[in-house]
Amino acid sequence: MKLIIHDLGTEFDELIDRNCDRTISADGKYAPCQGCFGCWTKHPAECKMKDTLKQVCRVMGQADELVIVTKNMYGGYSAAVKNVLDRSIGTSTPFSTYRGRQMHHTLRYGKHGLWKVVVYGEISEAEKETFRYLAERNALNDGFERSEVVFLQDLSGLEAAL
Amino acid sequence: MKTVFINCSPKKNFCASAYFLFLERLFTGGEKVTEHLRTPADHERILDELRDAQAAVFGVPLYVDGVPSHVLRFLESMEVFCKDNGLHFSVYCVANNGFIEGKQNEPLMQVFEHFCEHAELHFGGGVGIGGGVMLNVTRILFFVDIGLLLLNTVLSAANTGNFFPKDAWISFLENAALLLFFNLGVLFYLARMGHYIRKGFSAGKKYTRIMIPSFIFILFADIFFIIISLFEGGIFRGWLAKKEPDEAQTL
Repeated sequence: MKLIIHDLGTEFDELIDRNCDRTISADGKYAPCQGCFGCWTKHPAECKMKDTLKQVCRVMGQADELVIVTKNMYGGYSAAVKNVLDRSIGTSTPFSTYRGRQMHHTLRYGKHGLWKVVVYGEISEAEKETFRYLAERNALNDGFERSEVVFLQDLSGLEAAL
Repeated sequence: MKTVFINCSPKKNFCASAYFLFLERLFTGGEKVTEHLRTPADHERILDELRDAQAAVFGVPLYVDGVPSHVLRFLESMEVFCKDNGLHFSVYCVANNGFIEGKQNEPLMQVFEHFCEHAELHFGGGVGIGGGVMLNVTRILFFVDIGLLLLNTVLSAANTGNFFPKDAWISFLENAALLLFFNLGVLFYLARMGHYIRKGFSAGKKYTRIMIPSFIFILFADIFFIIISLFEGGIFRGWLAKKEPDEAQTL
């Protein structure tokens, strides 16, 4: 299953929908993560907050390929997209292991394929480096086999990048 | 000199970020103000404190390899506020994560560096801490030790009239020394950064961790989550299951 998480306006809905099996629109209509670990310890793979991201980790867990379309924000994801990712830690379990010679959590849904990030908006060379590093870390942490980051000058090249 | 300490944990109480900022405060001179950033309702109050500050110290938990989303929203507002008001103070960062490697905070540090470039502020460096949650637990254990010492003193005084039970003191000092040892790396680097904050200099980025071997840390972390999950009931609710999304509840 190919999943796209994006922070674009509704005018891109049709384009996004025809390029994936499932979409999560980072529209900001949800609460930030409270860091309670309840999605590990109390109600596994489910957030205590009753909004559209309540079971977002279960949806992300089904993805073989994840594409994140985000505006650049200081070399990282936009706040709206980061909010979705913060609420998704139930894709892992509370148990720890070593991956890439570092400590990480074991994976609830096993290994996935590609973690791809499509970045739009102004961005410096140093921020691009940070973004590549961040995507690599995310892929390792969430059990994706590889990561890829594409930088767009403008959104006219979006469909080709997806 | 005024330094504003911003605790960025979304938790109300007992957060690791508050513990590390408390320690950093001890090593920083001048006027000190501590704020807690949890919701957008906190933005205006914190920005107002930054108006006449010479330094801001962010205490940030690592979320999914980066800055938590509610903090990103604040940084957006802060960038506009600082530019509009011509502010150019120094920003320092005390980042912590639940894994043992402090180096895992590196992407978060880089985002703070880029934020400072955009906001025309000076990035003064930071300390990235591994094992933050467990280090935070050590402060509880310290107070438990003090409680046990007091209890033993009271019992000893009541039973034998001895107000200085030697064995209880030895046990307390041994435990306190062990807890201090776990925190040594953190104390050293926070003290070092405090010195640079006082001088207004760059401290660079430094990474440290709880002072125990990682395989022991992982064992303790697993036991910790088993106990919490037993109490909260998650262990009986498909704790490790590959749960399918309930379509009625999603998106």
